[in-house]
Amino acid sequence: MSYLSVKQLNKHYGQTQVFENIDFSADEGELVTLLGPSGCGKSTLLRCLAGLTPVDSGQILLQGQNLVPLAPQQRGIGMVFQSYALFPNMTVDGNVAFGLKMQKLPADEIRRRVAEVLDLVELREYATRYPHQLSGGQSQRVALARSLVTQPRLLLLDEPLSALDARIRKHLRDQIRRIQQELRLTAIFVTHDQEEALTLSDRVVLMNKGKIVQNGTAEILYTQPINAFAAGFIGSYNVLSAQQAGLLTGRTWQKQVAIRPESIVLVPAGQGIDATITSHSLLGNVIRYHVQTLGFELLVDVLNRSVADLHPNGALVGLQLDISTLCEVA
Amino acid sequence: MSRLENVYHRSVVTVMLLLLLSPLIATLIYAFSTQWGSTILPEGLTLKWMTQLWQDPRFLLALAHSLIICFGALVLSVVLVLPLMFVIAYYFPRLDSVMNILILLPFAVPPVVSSVGLLQLYSDGPLVLTGTPWILIFCYFTIALPFIYRAITNNMQAIHLRDLMDAAQLLGASTWQAAVLVVLPNLRKGCMIALLLSFSFLIGEFVFANLLVGDRFETLQVYLYNMRTGSGHFTSALVISYFLVVLLLTLVANMVNKGKD
Repeated sequence: MSYLSVKQLNKHYGQTQVFENIDFSADEGELVTLLGPSGCGKSTLLRCLAGLTPVDSGQILLQGQNLVPLAPQQRGIGMVFQSYALFPNMTVDGNVAFGLKMQKLPADEIRRRVAEVLDLVELREYATRYPHQLSGGQSQRVALARSLVTQPRLLLLDEPLSALDARIRKHLRDQIRRIQQELRLTAIFVTHDQEEALTLSDRVVLMNKGKIVQNGTAEILYTQPINAFAAGFIGSYNVLSAQQAGLLTGRTWQKQVAIRPESIVLVPAGQGIDATITSHSLLGNVIRYHVQTLGFELLVDVLNRSVADLHPNGALVGLQLDISTLCEVA
Repeated sequence: MSRLENVYHRSVVTVMLLLLLSPLIATLIYAFSTQWGSTILPEGLTLKWMTQLWQDPRFLLALAHSLIICFGALVLSVVLVLPLMFVIAYYFPRLDSVMNILILLPFAVPPVVSSVGLLQLYSDGPLVLTGTPWILIFCYFTIALPFIYRAITNNMQAIHLRDLMDAAQLLGASTWQAAVLVVLPNLRKGCMIALLLSFSFLIGEFVFANLLVGDRFETLQVYLYNMRTGSGHFTSALVISYFLVVLLLTLVANMVNKGKD
């Protein structure tokens, strides 16, 4: 029996089905990411877990207890919002203490626990500030502290990093992961950013159009995408038709085939399969080449070791690929 | 900004300001002058009109009436409209478009027309108010609605009402607690703007006051109207006093508001 299990959950607004027959589970202390393009129903699913949006049918079992009939106040769930949702009229202290005040705990215990959790997010010295005096990253850390202080059974994070700039985002991402592991929290993290999902989570649930496409560890999702959507969404896979793949490999394939750009090796012209570089872009540590071969285009990623290795546009090269890295997708 | 532009901007602003202030300044001088008829400048200055006005019990009563009616209407608006707006914003956001049309009505329907309707409405049960000053309060609160609704809706949108409510509820607050502890304090700015706007509009209202209650419950504007045949200096003093009262209340309200930040 998993710590959290969601069974056959359905939700629609009027004629539109937001998500249907959602089944997934999370073990205690696990961080599960709901990943998908915007509008795939992941945020609504999260709101349903929190009880902020009612579901049509299905069960949400947390520690064996069905949450569906419970009000949000009774679920013991903490949530962090993309917009931070800090209370502007209260100081950092007041924001964090709010949940404990609602539980009517004694003042000295509230003070002790607020101080503890502010230490955890490294914001002790900001306790008397108001939300409008904080940066985005600090605001989100306060929001995190506020949802942790009540010791929730489940932590929900709704795109908490999307409103932050890149550097802060990476830092806060690591901090969230560290705290989650330190406190052995069970957390559900919603994001549309595949990099965030892969680096942060124990398990990724990939969603599209209200359905779960694939559910597995980051490694499995990355190396064995189940269909063309998964291949396209996670990493920038080359997705080839069965016929194109046959030309490339000399084997017959039943379905579409996905090849990761970094699993193709560029070799000097004359070896492997002949190809021409049509364009390239520098991604930093990686150079991404667009390569024309056998009448179609492929993406090839090469580690950016030195400027001398750079192939100019129009250069002839050879392609080598390892058949085992190819996977058939539906 | 170049110096020439600077001069230009300043002069435009100064001219505009003078243009807007000149009637007020003229009234002010008129209120404090002994005689200002055939000369360019008044013949002499005096406090006669002001003292005469502020010693007139009828004026003081009218001022009191106006303040009671205005504050009564504002209290009623806040008590009735604020919860309504919260319910609309949180539970029925679609009704917002209906409200946007509804709040135009006080402007769209001429007061002469709506006062007939109001008299009819309140002369029969369950609420018989015709002939009492209460009818003004119940009428003024509908006029204040557009100001109050717009200012507070903007405020509600700016604070992400829904997220705040969600966050508070997940932290264990009931809907009631969340509304009072989290949402209400953050609407202070919008409420203040709404109340100031409505107040300065309502205290200057004449048509409804005259049609619905008239001489039986003289408000400032009705008093001013009844005094129109008297000395122009006296009515000028009245206008200036009325203006000062509004200014004073606005300043006090602003200071109270600032003190809390």
